[in-house]
Amino acid sequence: MILNIIINYNLFFLLWQLGFEVRLLLKESREVIREVGLAILPITFFVVILQLFFLDLPLASLGRFLFGALLVSLGLFLFLQGVRVGLLAMGEMVGAEMLEKGNIVTILLITFVLGVAITIAEPGVQVLALNVDLVTGGELSNTLLVWVVGLSLGIFLAFAILRIFLGIRMGYILAIGYAVIIIFSFFTPANFVPIAFDAGGVTTGPMTVPFILSIGLGVTSVLPRRSEMGDTFGLMGLASLGPVLGIMLLGVLFN
Amino acid sequence: MILNQLWSITREISMALAPLVIFFLLFQVIYARRPWSFVRQVLTGTVLAAVGLIFFLFGVQVGFMPVAREMGAGLAALQRPFLLMGLGFLFGLLATIAEPAVWVLCGQVERASGGYIPEKLILVVLSLGVGVFVALGMGRVSFGWPLYFLLIPGYILAIILIFFSTPTFIAVAFDAGAVVTGPMIVTFVMSLVVGIAGAIEGRDPILDGFGLVALVALAPILSVMILGLFFERKERD
Repeated sequence: MILNIIINYNLFFLLWQLGFEVRLLLKESREVIREVGLAILPITFFVVILQLFFLDLPLASLGRFLFGALLVSLGLFLFLQGVRVGLLAMGEMVGAEMLEKGNIVTILLITFVLGVAITIAEPGVQVLALNVDLVTGGELSNTLLVWVVGLSLGIFLAFAILRIFLGIRMGYILAIGYAVIIIFSFFTPANFVPIAFDAGGVTTGPMTVPFILSIGLGVTSVLPRRSEMGDTFGLMGLASLGPVLGIMLLGVLFN
Repeated sequence: MILNQLWSITREISMALAPLVIFFLLFQVIYARRPWSFVRQVLTGTVLAAVGLIFFLFGVQVGFMPVAREMGAGLAALQRPFLLMGLGFLFGLLATIAEPAVWVLCGQVERASGGYIPEKLILVVLSLGVGVFVALGMGRVSFGWPLYFLLIPGYILAIILIFFSTPTFIAVAFDAGAVVTGPMIVTFVMSLVVGIAGAIEGRDPILDGFGLVALVALAPILSVMILGLFFERKERD
């Protein structure tokens, strides 16, 4: 009896202590739940259609898929919620402080470090790396791939910020970047080309996009000249060229 | 076995998030000096994100990847490439419509065009665009077309379109490429195509299995710029 009271009391005490964290976990979570639900819907639909009409997967596989889908949904919910309550606040803080204090070199340096740090934590990048690791039998390890993608995105993000300061037109740089990628692709070992292009696609996700946009908005707000809309947007497009070139370069070095 | 996987993912994610935490703490100590409640909020968010990523990747590794490969093998055994392309089209279409970030983007385009391009139209064009490109990706893996055949013309078209578009549309278009490739879609589609490529005789899972995400990212870039071109001309007339 007394023991029970102590246990209950301690549990309550703990919960009370954790109230802050729990509130954060639930803060405006309805929208995130809807988001995750909507994302899992087409996949489930696809699998059901396939199973009903075309495939005959064993029940164990379907159960496995369901288990995976549950974990993936729960994980994505926690991840998105964590990014929203914590990591975005951090992005805004860094953006604001850096512009208040820093000169252009500091800004570029911080952008680079931040670019690397957020990319290696991006779910899409991790998934690509897992798939590549699996298919190549570990020859191209996921850790190596994740870091190459992160570093090259960091470099290009800093470059994209520099472009805003120099006021070069977005369109020209994108056109040149695409042309360089096409030319590079002919010199890259063939088995690295699809992975390289995919790397450009997966770097843009729920982690990187809000971070990069908040940095971009911060930078344009302190620009001496009047900024055009093309300044803040388009950062993502330019930054994601980095990993494509990075993986192509890795391919050249690897062979 | 499964616990081993869980452990290795946990280690991997801790390592992936550590730089961000270290960066934040250094920044806080050197520059920012925000109140403790702010630090606590950021750290809580980071822990949530880390736990979420671990669940997510664990689910991908034990559920999505093996089953998608099994399904890919089953689909390859059907030997009906056009069916595969049709299903791919449908999937791309549905996945785009169901992506909330896409709706936000459509609102942006409507504003960028000064209300000239209605939100619904962009949604339709984008979804059709992504559907077509997923179908092309399925066709690629079924028929064994090299990735170049699709990507290089697409990239060249994008470069040409850049010279005919306004800066605003260029910027929105290239960001749109980022929006469509959400983590869930990427995960599922990538594992499925890797599975199909691994099961068809004569296909290389590395050469033919990857590249679909790049195609899907290209679809909105092209469709938004083409749409912008079309409407700007109309506006000028």
